[in-house]
Amino acid sequence: MPKHDNLRFDASSVRSFVVCANASDDSENAFPTFEKAVEGIVAACSQDDAHEPVVERIEISVQESVSDSSKRKKPSRHFYYDTHLLGACGNGTERDPWPDITSSLNSMGEMYRQGELAAKPGELIWLDRREVFTATEHEKKKQRSETVAKTIFLLMSLSLVTPLVLILSYLLYKAMPALTMGFVTENPRDFMTAGGIWAPLIGTFFLVFISLMIVAPIGILAGVYLNEYARDNWLTRLINLAVVNLAGVPSIVHALFGVGAFVLFANLGESLIAASCTLAVMTLPVIITSTREALAAVPMSFREACWNMGASKWQTIRTIVLPNSISGILTGVILQVARAAGETAPILFTGAAFFMSVADEGWGYYFPYSLTDKVMALSMHLFTLMTQVNNAPEHLVYGTAVVLIGLVLAVNSFSIALRVYLRSRKKW
Amino acid sequence: MTPQTRQNQIISGGSKSSVSLSQLLNRISDKLEPVIEWTIWFCGWSSIVFVAAIFLFVAVEAGGFFEQVLNEETSKLEYRWKGFEPIKGFTFKEFFTSVNWRPDRYDKPEYGILALLVGTGAVTIGSMILAVPLGLGAAVFISEFCTGRVKETLKIVIELLAAIPSIVWGFIGVVVLGPLIVSATQQMSHIIPGFQPAFVGVNVLNASIILALMSVPVIVSVGEDSLKAVPDSYREAALSLGASRWEIVYRVLFPAAKNGLLAAVLLGVGRAIGETMAVLLCTGHAVNIPTKLTDPARTLTATIASELGEAVRGGDHYRILFFIGVVLFAITFVVNLIADLVVKGIKGQDNA
Amino acid sequence: MVDFDQVKVKYGNDVALDVISFQVPKNSILGVIGPANSGKTTMLKCINRTIDFIDSAKVEGTVKVNGEDVRKVRSVYQLRRNVGMVFPLPVGLPMSIYENVAYAPRRKGIHDRDELDELVVRCLKQSMLWDEVKDRLDSLGTKLSGGQQQRLTLARALSNQPEILCLDEFSIAIDPVTTMKIEDVLLELKNEMTIILVTNLVQQAHRLADNTLFLNDSQLIEVGETEKIFTEPDQKLTYEYVTGGFG
Repeated sequence: MPKHDNLRFDASSVRSFVVCANASDDSENAFPTFEKAVEGIVAACSQDDAHEPVVERIEISVQESVSDSSKRKKPSRHFYYDTHLLGACGNGTERDPWPDITSSLNSMGEMYRQGELAAKPGELIWLDRREVFTATEHEKKKQRSETVAKTIFLLMSLSLVTPLVLILSYLLYKAMPALTMGFVTENPRDFMTAGGIWAPLIGTFFLVFISLMIVAPIGILAGVYLNEYARDNWLTRLINLAVVNLAGVPSIVHALFGVGAFVLFANLGESLIAASCTLAVMTLPVIITSTREALAAVPMSFREACWNMGASKWQTIRTIVLPNSISGILTGVILQVARAAGETAPILFTGAAFFMSVADEGWGYYFPYSLTDKVMALSMHLFTLMTQVNNAPEHLVYGTAVVLIGLVLAVNSFSIALRVYLRSRKKW
Repeated sequence: MTPQTRQNQIISGGSKSSVSLSQLLNRISDKLEPVIEWTIWFCGWSSIVFVAAIFLFVAVEAGGFFEQVLNEETSKLEYRWKGFEPIKGFTFKEFFTSVNWRPDRYDKPEYGILALLVGTGAVTIGSMILAVPLGLGAAVFISEFCTGRVKETLKIVIELLAAIPSIVWGFIGVVVLGPLIVSATQQMSHIIPGFQPAFVGVNVLNASIILALMSVPVIVSVGEDSLKAVPDSYREAALSLGASRWEIVYRVLFPAAKNGLLAAVLLGVGRAIGETMAVLLCTGHAVNIPTKLTDPARTLTATIASELGEAVRGGDHYRILFFIGVVLFAITFVVNLIADLVVKGIKGQDNA
Repeated sequence: MVDFDQVKVKYGNDVALDVISFQVPKNSILGVIGPANSGKTTMLKCINRTIDFIDSAKVEGTVKVNGEDVRKVRSVYQLRRNVGMVFPLPVGLPMSIYENVAYAPRRKGIHDRDELDELVVRCLKQSMLWDEVKDRLDSLGTKLSGGQQQRLTLARALSNQPEILCLDEFSIAIDPVTTMKIEDVLLELKNEMTIILVTNLVQQAHRLADNTLFLNDSQLIEVGETEKIFTEPDQKLTYEYVTGGFG
């Protein structure tokens, strides 16, 4: 780009010409009248080295004086000229550009005189001249196919999002009459055709809490083993294969395992503890995997620094690795808590009951189930209402579904928020 | 003590010579280190132990080797060896090839799961027809065509989609999708001559749609991971040759990530085969081979879930249901094994 | 002080060190020079037995520290405390600067605040970092600049009061000013400990080392007094390397 003393260039190779009422004739690129600005542009352009004919665009914006070009308003009008055209006379639009800078500036001057480009006192008219790349026919075709592809993929994604939003709104709407404080705090009555969902709700809490107490230590330590201690041999590959397979076991097979191992073999009977154990085995593989990922995110250089200072492997894990990966581990555990809360099949035959009588207040209200009792659970309750209870009012069933969804989504959202928050607080 | 060390003391927050709780824990931990490391090693084996245990216990119950009896002296239930007795009227051939599933008939029970296998297959295939293009399309969109806020939002929505429990999906299938299917097919039967409307809303079509929505998040997240794993240098090279983003996707990324995308699909298949509550509610109750989309059907998983409650513990029906569990375990084991080997294929090959 | 006797190291089938023997006298600096991949880092790993962490490594021969075979010490952790190590890439642990330096003493069991204070100040002063961080000892170690983190690593290495200090190409990722500061420190520390300085900058070895060892392609080519190595070495290869011929 050739240098001009009386023009300012900014980084995007845009040349700006300003019409400003109190500019003197020799100020940089501010001109007192539109005509003088036009003259300035013509003068600048004719000093250009002859470069390839291009399409250029003049952007006009009207605003108060701002020195920082990034704060300027977007242009209110664009005029195009294309030096490819010979002799033709367009009207400055993209489809029909003016043929060269001079005629375009003349046309603009005409518009100005007729009052079409007015500015209020104190405002400036900025004229920016920009190069615009012309797309060739081939490029235009590719741009079209890209837009088509992008639209198709966008529609695919929306087709997942939209039904979800619609369905959830519909469920919420149908459940409205039921969603009161009492719904959540009262026990089911009248053969579950009335009342609330307290007994199943507290049952779900107990199930999830106890299964968490069982699975968290085992899963986290297993993740520690796999990431920190395991060597790269066939044994480790076997363990990894087992984790993947455990994650893929159908939920009803978990139920069968629970019956065989906990209800019968361990003689726990259909109970809270048997169902919690079954849920624990179900959530184990994902906790192992997310723990491993959290541990792997801690750079190896930290561990090596500690080993070289004489710390043992466990000391290093305890003092550096675990404290710095606890956030990732926590989010993984919370996600599994949400999953355990929603599952039905594993607890179906291992401890979930259609109905248990729970006290309406007092100690028995908050701690209604002992480890050997069968329990009601929210997910099971929804199943019961749908299949076993004949005249449950509609809003009760929808309400149960909505509370269950709400609970699961709330825990998931909490985990996502926790992840975002902790990511912003990274220590390295 | 210099003023500086006093300042440090304030910063570090400790006092002069007290043994704080954390110091105590440190000392205990150091003494117990061998025990802790042994525990870690032990837990590392847990996944193998549990996979083996699942197979073992389900197979044992199917074989009827043990039974629970009441010990009259101690009035406690005991788990005792019973020995093996073959199930009356059961043959492997009939099991896998007969559509007659009448396990609770008193005189001549029939144990044919062909209809159930077809049911599982139909619903899986139906859901994959929907889920694979949608899932891969969404994965491509998230990975290649959007950035920043839109990307984060979409990813969160997919995560929340994955979080919805299966019983709720079943509920949605029954109360929302079912009536929709019935009315939609009725409309279509007025427009298209000879088109049969659906009798009930719960059928293969319903379950396929619901299962597709359930499997998509798996396909999206694994697919997106494998697209992300393709090095940026591939994209940059293609861009510098003038390729548009869409061309980059189908000419460069799909071939490079095909193993991961295949694994994503296989994991989605595994999810669909293993799903229980949603299909239990959405497929209807007919043990027939479905001939069209609007026919009800039954899957292996739903059969176990709906019949185990009524089967007498230790009886033949009970044992057959556990045996179906063994079959399910084997199917998903094979699918997961293939997916894992396919993923290993990425690590084995060096494409760069 | 440090004694290598017929030491051979293999990673699987690749030979990393091919039967090398030498001795490092007490309170001296040994400069180890040689091109990349010649086995210099492997040598250091043998001294403090971090080679144990590499599954495929097989070590033959004997390494002695202070007369004791490193494989026969009572506590390998005590050995590692006795051998300070500084790596090529600066590493600040994700905790406060104070805790970075106090880390090793705490693991050893020292929890008395006064003792730790004194130790932290002394080590930070020794590694020429004190002046820059004395009023922000609680800021994160990972937020320091590269040169500061390298001095922090040195401070951590000194916190155990080791008898041997090993530095593995410590200057490649830091600025020349910091490098000069650390070089001055090393010359002072020589009076308290024995220093092994692996470097790819031959002039650094010339400046600092009493003796120099030249490793090339897993072989010990020559070892001897620095002046001799740099002016009249016995081996032609040595001469070529120190005059910048290759590597």
